[in-house]
Amino acid sequence: MGARACRDRAGEAMTETTERPGPGRVWSRPARAVLGLAGVALLGGTALFLGAVFLHVAPANSLSRQYRDEVDGIVYPEFEQNWKLFAPNPLQQNVSVDARVRTVAPGGATRTHDWIGLTARDLAAIRGNPAPSHVDQNLLRRAWDFYDGSHNPQDEAPTGARGKLAEQYLKRIALQRIGRDVDGERILEIAFRVTTATVLPPTWSGEAAPPEPKVRELPWWPVAEEDYRGLLG
Amino acid sequence: MNEVSAQAPRPDGELLPAGVPRQAGAGPEAPAPRGPRVAGPLGRAVAAFTGRVLGRHQAAVVRIGFGLVWCVYLLREWPNRRVLYGDRSPLSLDLAERLLGDDGAFTVLPWFGGRLWFELVYHLAVLAALAVLLGWRTRVSTVLFLVTVLSLQNRDIFLGDGGDNVVHLMAVYLVFTRCAEVWSLDARRARLGRTGRTGRTGRTGWAKWTGVALWAVLGTALAVCQFGDFSGRSLTWTGRAFPYLGWAPLFWGLWTVAGLWWVLGRLRPDGEPRAVLDALATMVHNCAMLVIAVEVVLIYATAGWYKVQGTRWQDGTALYYPLHLDYFTPWPGLSALVGSALLPVFLISYGTVIVQVAFPFTLLNRRVKNVLLAVMMLEHTGIAVLLGLPVFSLAMIAADAVFLPTGALLWLAARASRIGAGRIGAGRIGAGRFGAGRFRRTP
Repeated sequence: MGARACRDRAGEAMTETTERPGPGRVWSRPARAVLGLAGVALLGGTALFLGAVFLHVAPANSLSRQYRDEVDGIVYPEFEQNWKLFAPNPLQQNVSVDARVRTVAPGGATRTHDWIGLTARDLAAIRGNPAPSHVDQNLLRRAWDFYDGSHNPQDEAPTGARGKLAEQYLKRIALQRIGRDVDGERILEIAFRVTTATVLPPTWSGEAAPPEPKVRELPWWPVAEEDYRGLLG
Repeated sequence: MNEVSAQAPRPDGELLPAGVPRQAGAGPEAPAPRGPRVAGPLGRAVAAFTGRVLGRHQAAVVRIGFGLVWCVYLLREWPNRRVLYGDRSPLSLDLAERLLGDDGAFTVLPWFGGRLWFELVYHLAVLAALAVLLGWRTRVSTVLFLVTVLSLQNRDIFLGDGGDNVVHLMAVYLVFTRCAEVWSLDARRARLGRTGRTGRTGRTGWAKWTGVALWAVLGTALAVCQFGDFSGRSLTWTGRAFPYLGWAPLFWGLWTVAGLWWVLGRLRPDGEPRAVLDALATMVHNCAMLVIAVEVVLIYATAGWYKVQGTRWQDGTALYYPLHLDYFTPWPGLSALVGSALLPVFLISYGTVIVQVAFPFTLLNRRVKNVLLAVMMLEHTGIAVLLGLPVFSLAMIAADAVFLPTGALLWLAARASRIGAGRIGAGRIGAGRFGAGRFRRTP
């Protein structure tokens, strides 16, 4: 863009750009009716929308329970929002996900491999990176949240319809990173281990040290060829 | 002419209900009641609502901000695009469609699986973001922006964070604003057309048909999508639940209005129907700006009020914890340093809660509001660096910009254009107003 264009654009900011009829225009009767009706509809719609969004972000209350279907109808799926940023308390736990695989050699012998630090790989990509990718910062982390929220931690049974989907998602994320085979042997099964460590409180707080990190091990899941669909290209 | 307003921010202390600052140009533009009906505060409010594009500079800044955020994000993720939203996503199309079947979120990506369609949508998204940023054919580009943002984000809803969430919302709201009135290629074209400068290359004649061509192409595309089997249930006229509205009324409505606008502009540019359309567009804009402003208020109010209940915010150590989360410490040494001492951690923790809780109320006082706005923008800059969340922070800053005072925006624009003019060719400006700065060394 040329210098003149730049100057013009700046100049425009200071002058009146609109040459549309001023607000003092005298409208005909039909025009007044159209504008009046539209104004009422727009203001009503805006108030309704903002009311719904307010009830959606506010704590559950008597009003939002009463009009739950209406509020959800307006807000979901596109206006869903969650602004409890670091609230009510910031997250105080570091969750790291590891995976290990069992492979089968061409001769038929199976072998269980060492744990692979999937979160550790994410962190390696984030360290020293001014703009971490969603692939490293969100993909695995949020997939674990999704799994955690849809499973019973005691027996790893899915608690809802989305549980199976969460398992599939988590498995595919790991398989994409590990590949089809390890040391030339095809992957038969995969298992996850998740370690949750509470952040040490600040030294000046005088709080007792948190309990030891908790380790949660998931059962072995079979790996089939179709689990790789589209993953490795 | 109120050129001075750029140098000396006018004291536009009057605030709209939601705190959107008044236009700088309010002087000459202020409602001049001629009709007998316009009288009293109510009459003036009605006249402003129907006749004035409120917060047009703020709308432009929000547009530029979100166009920039999304464009930068898409370019940054370009190497990872296929894993995030495309054919290599761990959330395969089958899995994604099971989720979409539940909630009915809008995305065009499942229409045709496969790489080619995805690449088309992703690169269209980049172009749409760029067009929104530059303000090129904004009535079209904001709609494409909406379609592409929703399509990508709804492809895998587990990927996003707060930044994606606010981009998602603003992509919808921006469609309804007149966000290209200033600082846009649209405004520039309109000005060239008005002053009769058809340009050395006959640009305006050519530009006139660009709009028509875009309208025809997009109308055809929309019809193909509407009546083709591939779009499934994404372009319905009615919704399954309250408020029973599908996406088709929005897209076809916008397309029809654009056509009507053009026809009336050619046939009867000064006629009343065109003026009515104009007033309607202004009313829609004013409502959308109100929604954007309230949305920002809700973000801070929610973030603040929920923190009040948190024990870590109460004991003043909250800031310490995010600085020790592995996923949000790209610079662990720096984070440890910031979180190392009692007093700064306490002050920033308490300060954050106070600022967020107070923000909605400070809208009643222009000066306090501006101070808080600056504080929040600074805090987001800190978050960008310390927690490794530049896109989130930039999105929040872009949203905050809706509350920036017009005077400050004009000052920034003047500075930006002075720097721009200096870099691009101060010589050609000569003794022009913007050539008088420190960049006028060039002969």
